Amino acid sequence: MNRDNIRNFSIIAHVDHGKSTLADRLLQVTGTVSARDMQEQFLDGMDLERERGVTIKASAVRMNYRAKNGEDYIINLIDTPGHVDFTYEVSRALQACEGAVLVVDASQGIEAQTLSNVYLALEQDLEIIPVINKIDLPAARPDDIAKEVEDLLGISSGEMLRISAKSGIGVQDVLEAVIERVPPPKGDLDAPLRALVFDSHYDSYKGVVAYIRVIDGKLNKNDVLKLMATNARFEPVEIGIFSPGMKVIDSLGAGEVGYVATGFKTVRECRVGDTLTLDVNGAQTPLPGYTQVKPMVYAGIYPTENDDYSDLRDALEKLQLNDASLVYEPETSQALNFGFRVGFLGLFHMEIVQERLEREYDLDILATAPSVEYQVLTRTNEMLTVDSPAHLPDEGTIQEIREPWMKIQIYTPQEYIGAIMDLVIKKHGEYVTTEYLDKSRVVLHYRIPLAEIIIDFYDRLKSVTRGYASLDYQFDEYRPGDLVKLDILVNEEPVDALALIVHRDDAYHKGQKLVSKLKELIPRQMFVVPIQAAAGKRIISRANVSAMRKDVLAKCYGGDISRKKKLLEKQKKGKKRMKMIGSVELPQEAFMALLSLDDDD
Amino acid sequence: MIVPLAIYLHIPFCRTKCTYCAFNTYTNMDSLIEPFVDALIHEIRIGGESKPGQAVGTIFFGGGTPSLLTPEQIERILAAISTYFDVMLDAEVSLEANPNDITQEYLSELRQKGINRLSLGMQSANSSELKLFARRHDNDQTARAVSAARAAGFDSLNLDLIYGVPHQTLSGWDWSLQQMLALQPDHVSLYALGLEDGTPMQEWVAKGRLPTPDEDLAADMYELATEKLAGAAYEQYEISNWSKPGHTCRHNLQYWRNLPYAGYGPGAHGYADGVRYSTVLSPQRYIKALENVSDPSVFPHTPATHEAVVVDRSAEISETLIMGLRLTQEGINRKTFVQRFGIDLVELHQEVIEKYVNYGLLHVDTEVVRITQQGRLLSNMIFRELV
Ligand SMILES: Nc1nc2c(ncn2[C@@H]2O[C@H](COP(=O)(O)OP(=O)(O)O)[C@@H](O)[C@H]2O)c(=O)[nH]1
Ligand code: SF4
Ligand SMILES: [Mg+2]
Repeated sequence: MNRDNIRNFSIIAHVDHGKSTLADRLLQVTGTVSARDMQEQFLDGMDLERERGVTIKASAVRMNYRAKNGEDYIINLIDTPGHVDFTYEVSRALQACEGAVLVVDASQGIEAQTLSNVYLALEQDLEIIPVINKIDLPAARPDDIAKEVEDLLGISSGEMLRISAKSGIGVQDVLEAVIERVPPPKGDLDAPLRALVFDSHYDSYKGVVAYIRVIDGKLNKNDVLKLMATNARFEPVEIGIFSPGMKVIDSLGAGEVGYVATGFKTVRECRVGDTLTLDVNGAQTPLPGYTQVKPMVYAGIYPTENDDYSDLRDALEKLQLNDASLVYEPETSQALNFGFRVGFLGLFHMEIVQERLEREYDLDILATAPSVEYQVLTRTNEMLTVDSPAHLPDEGTIQEIREPWMKIQIYTPQEYIGAIMDLVIKKHGEYVTTEYLDKSRVVLHYRIPLAEIIIDFYDRLKSVTRGYASLDYQFDEYRPGDLVKLDILVNEEPVDALALIVHRDDAYHKGQKLVSKLKELIPRQMFVVPIQAAAGKRIISRANVSAMRKDVLAKCYGGDISRKKKLLEKQKKGKKRMKMIGSVELPQEAFMALLSLDDDD
Repeated sequence: MIVPLAIYLHIPFCRTKCTYCAFNTYTNMDSLIEPFVDALIHEIRIGGESKPGQAVGTIFFGGGTPSLLTPEQIERILAAISTYFDVMLDAEVSLEANPNDITQEYLSELRQKGINRLSLGMQSANSSELKLFARRHDNDQTARAVSAARAAGFDSLNLDLIYGVPHQTLSGWDWSLQQMLALQPDHVSLYALGLEDGTPMQEWVAKGRLPTPDEDLAADMYELATEKLAGAAYEQYEISNWSKPGHTCRHNLQYWRNLPYAGYGPGAHGYADGVRYSTVLSPQRYIKALENVSDPSVFPHTPATHEAVVVDRSAEISETLIMGLRLTQEGINRKTFVQRFGIDLVELHQEVIEKYVNYGLLHVDTEVVRITQQGRLLSNMIFRELV
């Protein structure tokens, strides 16, 4: 097809503004998916995505459309995730497009990821088509919201599309706008092949399937190909398009979007962001690549049963095939034995990974409290990076500890400013400025230590603003902080997996809370178990789990021994899930106690 | 050595349901009692015919409330057992009764028909606790029932008490113990209240309408009882059981020694010839199961058998241990254990045994392994590791 009749675009939106719903409608209107096959949230293929209603991975689909002008078009829709943890994935997907449809909820207006996505689209120089969605809602204020968007983008609010993705109103106009306003792909069909790998998934038969956008040249099914960064060569298992299932075709030319099944068994050879070219007579310079994302949050993940270590390793390896942002390395803990230190893009990402390990791989795992990556300057002027409190060197050898700070933006109705201010101050944040979106909504800018927002900040923000606030964040800088290691001793032994790094001011308070929480969580044992919190070498809090005195079974009636035995077996199983720390049995929840600390203050 | 069989008979009827009770028992089904007795006799016949000449050492009428049966019904049941089994001359024949269902006349008849041991559900001497349990008697009625039993000629009498009850105090418990001791039973069973699923008591505690019984206080109560009973010359022989010399409950000893017993009646449990089984729960289904049966059964199965599993060696070992270690004096005899299983217990469970000997919960010498004084209240910890 003529390249002038190709359009590549993404839909970008804040969570829940209707991106997936609009995508569903577009697939229907273009006949890509028949009404019969239509499942809600078609592109959200993973079970977890559909359940949580959040798009986690980008995906791409080709639609054929005859426009009002009578011409036929190929429209490639590249779906993007909408959660703040996955900003990076959005940017990768946008790099494969010339335009973006910006969906804004007619009752909610501009929110944090609306903005962050707009900035990403502008960075890529994309044509932005704003669309006000959910006009069918009684609470819709399409004109007000259109005005907000006008102020943001400088696009006249009068021209803005007003639609209901749910009922289908205006959906066709979106396609027409894409054709009219998104430029057709440029690129040189006769130049040597250059294709951008913007995503991938793993298929057990076809190996790593690279999602590509061909920028220059042409790709044929019999070509020997090369990835420019890794120099890995391969003959494609197949090439094709998503329509929406994988459909084999013979070639992909400049401007087109599709896939190449590489046959590679790991993502090491085929990294997202790499440039694909021909092995013979290939391109000389790669496309501007992506930067590898750095994890923000680290946590130890351990199998509940030591025997499952290799299953956990295999599962992480497989997960990484589909999730290049997941990094991990083996770690040993005195308390938990063999496991992995895993890096995540954010807490949401961590939750998703944990759930997938448990659900898709049927593993019983135990995750330690999340931590950030600290920079530690030693007295010998060495700079160490520490992403696990257990590995913080002895206090005496430390000159300075630096922690990552973030810039955050909170979008909120005005009436919650006070509550948000309190929350941020409590978390050691610094106020920067307030911007007015309109008469009643503001953007609050702060700087705040990352460690303070990874635990329960988002949930608390939602709760103090009754769900109205949204949050965006970017890395700011490393800053020295007055930080100390908080050790937790169980039965006089420090438990490495329970250690924390905290602000000195908070050490006492957090130590006390943690100790009393642990006292609640740790079941009584045969003997008194002291639980202590120590900052530096000083004990700052102590509580005792008193000794168990009574553990007997109730009356055994009429010789019903099976019941007794079943009960004992069940209890025994419960005990097995506990972790032995010395001679003390710790329940799994103890290792996540930190997360539930702030519930009640 | 020929081991006589114990026979447990489950009488699944009660006048009203006690608030803590999760036993297989039904109220307002008096019209089923007579057909049930017929079915029970039928089941006994089938059992006996499948094991001709089987000696029986103990019989236990449990429930439910066996004292809802008439003396005639009890007589017919006992006659059936004597017909189809070989009941030993010195057999122990126990019956559970509620203090309020019985008169001296009734008890005399039972005594004559062959019941020689009576177990009364005293549960408490405290009227507020008895109300909480929805028992239909007060302490005076318990006292009258005990005198009636004595007058009727029962020289082996057990009283049950429950401790660890919501709102119960140590002094309240002390009073129940005193009242109980004043009645001079020959045997005493003390049970910690268990909050069983589906009982009103459990629901009240779950909903916060009653306080959760305090485990430490329950431990104190147990220790107080241990002291008082020792002072009154009762000997503890099992975690929850005490007796005057010569009055241990032979029927229950059979369970604890993991020796064979047959269970008849709805929701009864049995263990014989290497099979552990239970019967159908509902009285209606039980009665139905025993109608028009002509084919013989293979012992210990009967047409009422609902679930049955063959106990393999390792299950038999663990059951022998978790039951036998309940016997605080006798424990597990190492020589008997070797004879039964061909291996020394201490060798088999060396790690666990060492651990709990170190904690002071187990005692081991060349002859026996048993729990210590300290181990009684924590026995579950040990049992858990032996299943
Ligand atoms: N009333 C109404 N609801 C909509 C509309 N579009 C989407 N929704 C609902 O908004 C919620 C979030 O939509 P979804 O497409 O999952 O949002 P996403 O997170 O941006 O992908 C879902 O419950 C949709 O049914 C619309 O036009 N009108
Ligand atoms: S009398 Fe016994 S069996 Fe009947 S309900 Fe009360 S406790 Fe349960
Ligand atoms: Mg979605």
